[in-house]
Amino acid sequence: MITSIAWKNVWRNKSRSLVVIIAVTLGTVAGVFVAGMLNGWVAQRINDVIFTELGHVKIQNPDYLVNEQASHYIANISELEQYLKHSKDVVAYAKRSKIMAMASTARGNSGIMLKGIDIENEKNVSGVYKQLLPGSGSYFEENSRLPLVLISSKTAEQLRLKNYRISNHTTDSLSMLNVPQETISKLTPIKDERFITRKKFESAIKGLWSDSEIRSYGPHLMNTAAYFQPNAKITFSFTKANGQIGYLTCRVSGVFKTSNNLFDQTSAFVNHTDLINAAGLQPDQFHEISVILNPSVKDIDPFIKSSSNQFKNLSFLSWKVLAPDAGLMADFIQVYYYLIMGIIFFALAFGIINTMLMAILERVKELGMLMAIGMKRKQVFSMIMLETIFLTLCGSMVGMVLGGLLIKITEHTGLNFSSVAEGFESVGWAATVYPAIDLSFFFGIIILVVIVAVLSSIIPARKALKLKPIEALRTE
Amino acid sequence: MKVIEINKLNKIYNESEVKVHAVNNVTFDIEEGEFTAIVGPSGSGKTTLLNMIGGLDIPTSGEVMVGGSLMSSLKGADLTDFRLHNIGFVFQAYNLIPVLSAKENTEFVMRLQGKSKKVCDARTKELLKAVGLGERMNARPAKLSGGQQQRVAVARALASKPKFVLADEPTANLDSKSTETLLDIMEKLNREENITFIFSTHDARVVKKARRVITLEDGKILSDVRKNGGE
Repeated sequence: MITSIAWKNVWRNKSRSLVVIIAVTLGTVAGVFVAGMLNGWVAQRINDVIFTELGHVKIQNPDYLVNEQASHYIANISELEQYLKHSKDVVAYAKRSKIMAMASTARGNSGIMLKGIDIENEKNVSGVYKQLLPGSGSYFEENSRLPLVLISSKTAEQLRLKNYRISNHTTDSLSMLNVPQETISKLTPIKDERFITRKKFESAIKGLWSDSEIRSYGPHLMNTAAYFQPNAKITFSFTKANGQIGYLTCRVSGVFKTSNNLFDQTSAFVNHTDLINAAGLQPDQFHEISVILNPSVKDIDPFIKSSSNQFKNLSFLSWKVLAPDAGLMADFIQVYYYLIMGIIFFALAFGIINTMLMAILERVKELGMLMAIGMKRKQVFSMIMLETIFLTLCGSMVGMVLGGLLIKITEHTGLNFSSVAEGFESVGWAATVYPAIDLSFFFGIIILVVIVAVLSSIIPARKALKLKPIEALRTE
Repeated sequence: MKVIEINKLNKIYNESEVKVHAVNNVTFDIEEGEFTAIVGPSGSGKTTLLNMIGGLDIPTSGEVMVGGSLMSSLKGADLTDFRLHNIGFVFQAYNLIPVLSAKENTEFVMRLQGKSKKVCDARTKELLKAVGLGERMNARPAKLSGGQQQRVAVARALASKPKFVLADEPTANLDSKSTETLLDIMEKLNREENITFIFSTHDARVVKKARRVITLEDGKILSDVRKNGGE
């Protein structure tokens, strides 16, 4: 009876209740969608960290962590490999030799970590091979007399291997995007001209296009006009294992681009054999092993602990330690969601309290009558609390459905933040986010809504409980 | 059998430095099945007296015993519970719950008493039929006339099977036809089911129907007349 009357009371003043319900709906939609975006970002970042950059666990010589010298390689690697091969927790692992090098071309140079990999086995651990830019080459499939190297788009830019040119392909692509012909024709004076830096190309475009044209079509133009010099040569110089200076000249096999600029700027991949030959390393001298664990392993720490106990002379570090930003997000993402929702509901609570206070003040006489005929104070309290819960729950339910739908719509298309891509990618976050949310989050919201509603009902309910039936009945 | 015993009842209001003796040393009893009107001009203390009998107001001194229970010994939830099970209220302004139908308003008190839906349904139908609203059970108060609303209020007051019904100026907002109908219904329930009714009123038509009339003036009993006999 109390439940039924509370529900009916919610709809006593439809317009007032609807205002609160709409406010709660909008707040919930915003909260759910922002949480979905954050979740998408974090999931993407964690996925990139594990399956592109680090693996679940990285094994190294502890001395290499202090000083990245070629001589600080993993000792007794065969024993370690036997252990990894027989561990039920391990799905795949990849060995890498690493040497800090200076990459140079005729036009530029850049410091880089040259990673010697087993080309095929590396695919089991890192998804870099899937992130090659279209038209930039292949994953070590070129026929070349020189060793092949895989570099990032960022490195290519620093080494001036990424050039810009308005070609027929560029203008066709702009036409397909429905860019006005007049705008496209403005590019004619620089057609087929090669620009060796992005800056120079941008400055040429600024002289031809208006600000609004640059804002609307600039990002697409930059992408379609960019191209990588085919078969470009890069010379790497580094300190060999014996302390002498070594050189390795490679031909660019392909150009990759991940969502982490820092990883891109510092990573180049060559065949392990090519690197050890040039650096004077032995075939069994590796500086790190990246391990991918079985998806059933939810907690990495026991694996690290048992492995560390077995190989006391090696350092086993989880991705959470190596990428603390992503680790922190993974550990506290739930807290962030509920913090966002909590802040939204905290603000909404004031509106809810106000509405309920108005509802109580309008019904003073009725509440007096209810108490006079035998409704106990705790029943009055329950009725008002239930009214508040229903009011809040109505809005949040609709909000969760709409927020969920919005996430469902955008989870495949993604949300493109290309205008601020540079900023996102500089800290390792993807510029295109695919919102996603876990069903358990909705259960969490329902609990949060009930808590907020109960807390919001305290002030109005106390107001009602303070009424004396005799005085309330006299109210006009 | 005495349903209500009132002994030397006083109520003094101390508002704005002026003491108002609303009820002044009132003593009387109400027997089971009586149909009593408490009359008097405005400010004579009718409503205050009714409120103290109903446990809504606290006497300054004196005693109100209902069914052998001393009202002043009951506090808080016990007092509310006592009202729920022993007293039926009919208010001047009907005071029905606007979001509930006539049926739901009537059964509300029984639901508070924890009675089953089956029992509530049967009693509600019986009562609404008795007050002539068997066909309007699902109508909300806004769809009923003033007289019909007050009849629902009477049905609600009787639903809990109280020891007596207190009606504070029940006909004050009704036209003469509705007043007549309501009084006939209450009189019938009184005669046929021996329900004790106590009204406060200054409506001559109610006084005419009452079998006992207690007249108050300045908080004191001026007269107590039983129409079938002695004073």
